[in-house]
Amino acid sequence: MAQFLQQIVNGLSIGSVYALMAVGYSLVYSIMNFSNFAHGGVIMFGAYFGFFAMTLLKLPFLAAFALSFTGTALLALLIERIAYKPLRERRAPFLYFIISAMGASIFLENIVIATIGPTFRTYPKVFSRTAIALGSIAVGRLDLIMFFVSAISLALLVLFIEKTKMGKAIQASAYNMKAAALMGVNTDQIVMIVFILGGILAGIAGVFFGMKYTVYPQIGNITTKSFVAAVFGGLGSLPGAVLGSVLLGIIETMVAGYLSSQFRDLIAFVILIAVLVFRPSGIMGKISEEKA
Amino acid sequence: MLKVDNIHIAYGGIKALRGVSLNVQQGEIVTIIGANGAGKSTLLNTISGFLKPSRGTVSFRGKALPKRPDLIVRDGICHVPEGRMVFANLSVEDNLLMGAFLRKNRKAVAEELEQVYQIFPRLAERAQQSAGTLSGGEQQMLAMGRALMTDGDLVLMDEPSLGLAPLLVNTVFEIIGKIHDLGKTILLVEQNAFKALAVADRAYVLEQGKIVKEGPACDIAADPAVKAAYLGAESRAGG
Repeated sequence: MAQFLQQIVNGLSIGSVYALMAVGYSLVYSIMNFSNFAHGGVIMFGAYFGFFAMTLLKLPFLAAFALSFTGTALLALLIERIAYKPLRERRAPFLYFIISAMGASIFLENIVIATIGPTFRTYPKVFSRTAIALGSIAVGRLDLIMFFVSAISLALLVLFIEKTKMGKAIQASAYNMKAAALMGVNTDQIVMIVFILGGILAGIAGVFFGMKYTVYPQIGNITTKSFVAAVFGGLGSLPGAVLGSVLLGIIETMVAGYLSSQFRDLIAFVILIAVLVFRPSGIMGKISEEKA
Repeated sequence: MLKVDNIHIAYGGIKALRGVSLNVQQGEIVTIIGANGAGKSTLLNTISGFLKPSRGTVSFRGKALPKRPDLIVRDGICHVPEGRMVFANLSVEDNLLMGAFLRKNRKAVAEELEQVYQIFPRLAERAQQSAGTLSGGEQQMLAMGRALMTDGDLVLMDEPSLGLAPLLVNTVFEIIGKIHDLGKTILLVEQNAFKALAVADRAYVLEQGKIVKEGPACDIAADPAVKAAYLGAESRAGG
């Protein structure tokens, strides 16, 4: 029983970071109807920004953290302007967006390999590694902080989307971009806001991921799993992305704990295929035909 | 108030509009009638800034229109799109408030909302319901109410009666009259030529991307060629 609870706690912690990443995928998908595969690259840059802010600039953790998510917000915006805006203006088919996204993703990974190098780097120690005992289970400090910061970030995002005028405009644009423009919404601005929001969450997720594991150029590949989580929950649905992520996190830690960690990724992708086959709209997604 | 001057629009190789000119004076109801594919929606989408004419200009109150759709809304043109396009994921009230997206004066918005609820009591009853649960007729009311919330002076309406039951078609045309009574100028695109000509001051007939006839609505309605092409069954049915 103790081991089971322990796995749940570990799963919640990693699942909450998946959720930060998955929400970024879902936000962009809900507005632009394509899967922004460059998001993984942005998360990777978030991990590097935080790492270098702490090691080279010797910034304290919180400042490095803020620098990281500011940097990723700008990077996400820059990618939108360079890789997607010209396509939007020409009303290109969705496939072109995906190809452009993959191009951006490969570019980001390789520019890091070419300039910073392919080595694995370890974050300096920020939180004590001694776990906090909660009855029979032990919770790592980093895991606890990851969970709470992720939960608070997501709660703020939901508040913004549900309660503000701009948030309602994002929802309206997600449903029908043209009709939103007819209400006087500057849809180009909505796209920018969505990329900035996704970029901020990517920075937070990148720093946590770098701290929990290591920092390396292919770290973005791990975010493929958050994409699986977003599909699992229902692409385009924010609650779906969070639910899918937490479930995926728990399933993964269960598999790693009771079977073998080698089966972990296998199971994640089996879930993706199963969802695509049996319930393509995911747990909470809207069913739609023209999306890619 | 609105002046469309010799606009040309082409999609790929197909010329959708071939030198269309028209004008709408303040306070008028002007209708554009024409068959499916004549270019009616293309014309409205060009005025709203979604399509860029390869030639020709659109001016509003003597000034060229801005390029972006949202800035055109700010200038005072609102557009009730074909197919209603209500935000099914938002409540009825949130849909209406989206119409007021650009407006800063909360008191004026609250008053406008009351006015819209008076014109469309059904929307008031369903204010908190998701717009996706409304019937087709109710969604049309919502699309019209939402456009009124933008406080535009010129209302473009694209096929507001399309797909509605005959009784509801009458209601929609009554509402067009009420919106006109509020002081709005209306440019109405309709396939239901009989009803449209009855409510309009002036009319244009659009065929294959060209204006082939224009004049007072009663003259157009009496025109033998128009009668044969657009009013055949309906004029008999309507008496």
